[in-house]
Amino acid sequence: MRRPTPRVRTIKKNADRNLRFGWWSLLIFLSLGGALETLHGFKIGWYLDVGNEMRRLMFTLAHAHGTLLAVVNIIAGLTARNIERFELRPSISSALIWAAILLPGGFLLGGIVTYGGDPGLGVWLVPVGAVLLFYSIARIALDLSKLR
Amino acid sequence: MTQVATPASLPTNMDRLELAFDGTKYKVERRGDAFFVRKRSEGGNSYGDAQQIVLVTGSHTLQVPWLETGQGRTLEQFPFAYIVAEKMWAPVTETFLMPPGLKDYYPIGAWNGACMDCHVTQGQSRFVEGNKWDSNVAEFGIACEACHSEGGQHIALNRNPIRRFKIYLTTKSDPTMTNPSRLRGPDSALACGQCHSVWAFNNMTDKIDFNRHGSGFRPGGHDLAQRFVVQPNTSDHSDQKDFIRRTEPGFFGNRFWGDGMIRVTGREFNGVQASPCFRGGEFSCISCHEMHLDSPGHPDVTTWARNGQLKPKMESDAACLQCHKDMSARLVEHTHHPADSSGSRCYNCHMPRTTFGLLHAMRSHQVSSPTVRESTVYGRPNACNLCHLDQTLAWTAEKLHAWYNQPMADLSRDDQTIAAAVQWILKGDAGQRVLMAWGFGWESAQKIAGRDWLYPYLIYSLTDPYAAVRFDAWKSLQTLPGFSNFSFNYTVTDSVLSEAAGRAYEKWLHEVRNPNAVYRPETLLDSNGRWQQDIFQRLRTERDDKRILLAE
Repeated sequence: MRRPTPRVRTIKKNADRNLRFGWWSLLIFLSLGGALETLHGFKIGWYLDVGNEMRRLMFTLAHAHGTLLAVVNIIAGLTARNIERFELRPSISSALIWAAILLPGGFLLGGIVTYGGDPGLGVWLVPVGAVLLFYSIARIALDLSKLR
Repeated sequence: MTQVATPASLPTNMDRLELAFDGTKYKVERRGDAFFVRKRSEGGNSYGDAQQIVLVTGSHTLQVPWLETGQGRTLEQFPFAYIVAEKMWAPVTETFLMPPGLKDYYPIGAWNGACMDCHVTQGQSRFVEGNKWDSNVAEFGIACEACHSEGGQHIALNRNPIRRFKIYLTTKSDPTMTNPSRLRGPDSALACGQCHSVWAFNNMTDKIDFNRHGSGFRPGGHDLAQRFVVQPNTSDHSDQKDFIRRTEPGFFGNRFWGDGMIRVTGREFNGVQASPCFRGGEFSCISCHEMHLDSPGHPDVTTWARNGQLKPKMESDAACLQCHKDMSARLVEHTHHPADSSGSRCYNCHMPRTTFGLLHAMRSHQVSSPTVRESTVYGRPNACNLCHLDQTLAWTAEKLHAWYNQPMADLSRDDQTIAAAVQWILKGDAGQRVLMAWGFGWESAQKIAGRDWLYPYLIYSLTDPYAAVRFDAWKSLQTLPGFSNFSFNYTVTDSVLSEAAGRAYEKWLHEVRNPNAVYRPETLLDSNGRWQQDIFQRLRTERDDKRILLAE
């Protein structure tokens, strides 16, 4: 039986990292969804009052984006594991993880302190995360296209 | 405010509504989401053409629908108002304090020519000719710009998120928008006072300009532009006020007590402006009220709306103690009442319920101290006797003399022997009677003056010639034991009213009355709960029947 080369080990390590991150992230953001439902259930004014609409929107976006990006990380890890010759570069792996942190994290922080119709300062993390996400998805798409 | 008439904005079950008033029957029909009214005379065979209900004006208290007329944008009043709390319709003329028999309070075009001055944001009446109007509004509701001034520049500049966050992190104040909470007291209050005041036009040119282009006042301004706030006893605008006195003799009497204190609700700025607190330059409407529920501690929106849109805790002494900080330490010394009693609540003595509108008494917003003179000279029930319903004016005079060194008044024999409230409800004018009819249901007064003797007076007032008095007597009667479910239609004919009052009296006398109750002689009731007829009949015949119309 052949032992994997260091390069293959690195690629597998990256894929595992995204898989692990993805599943933990999925757990966290599904839990956040449960927490938001609880706030609905107990009619918590800090979340539901008319004046807190921006907070509600931010938290909902954090939940949705966090869950979605967790799934994207899992898919990226599985793709790297299962498609021969495809490399999940370390920079892409990291960008994908940071996108999954910054994007929902920005929404979450932006919802904690709000300014009337605007979210809090944390929302400025969202465009940074969005750039990282765009970069990583584009790179994965390009790298997969080169395999043909 | 005004809303477009929809199933959501109109009272429920309106599609099955059938009403009659002044010889005409009204039937409402629903077609899709639109509602139409058809009329026919009571002797007639068929209903006439349908008029669509297009708008509804009012608040959480009272709603009045408006009908299209086919004359441009001229509106006609649906002659009934919906009393929200009672879930009932009543003739509009019977939802105001106005002389009986007055059939037409809002003629065709009244909404365009008067109501829309305040019940929309930046209305322009735009009179055309005859009874035709081409009115415009910025918004039907009382919207942002009504209090925060024009928002065009604010919106344009704040499309830039960096500008917005710079403001959040630095000044927290946007100079492109007026914020009444950052204005000086008088300017802040004027933002509310642009509508919540008795105002008049400076001259005919300004009136035409207002009619064409809407109000020139913008929140933050120091005066009302084409208009001025009418205070009867101030020296400003004397020519205009003389003109009003000549051309509309009832103008001041329909709005003010004889000493110039406002007596109708909805015009609170007149009271605020005349208050000593106002002179400090800090006091304004938002010292106690708030429009956005920003402060923590609000119970809920409904309670806030029903409680005068007050800030949290502002229904208590905290409102006054914001400035009069030293008073809490010497409360009892000042009030001469136990600290936890209603007599030690600032509002009850300094803002008694001497204004009336929307079928209930409301607190005066002219902060003042009670005197006997205000009652003997101007006829306004004083704060002491509004609570101590069973006491005479002489009793009040003695207390005010002993506690506050007020001069002793020269009082009539009645004022020395008959409770002031009894005199007001029996021989007062309609403005006094309606305050008493409401005041007899005030829980604080009932605790102090007792409940047993109030029944016959409220039952007697069920037949008052003024509908508003009858309504409040009915509602107050429902606060008393044994009558909580007492049903009564206050808008029916005199004979039906008398029959209902007779039944109520018999019920009280034989079923509800406590046989052991002791009645103070000042209440004019003997030990059997019956009136001392000679005095009672004399006071009835002395009733002040001058026509009272409170122009809310």
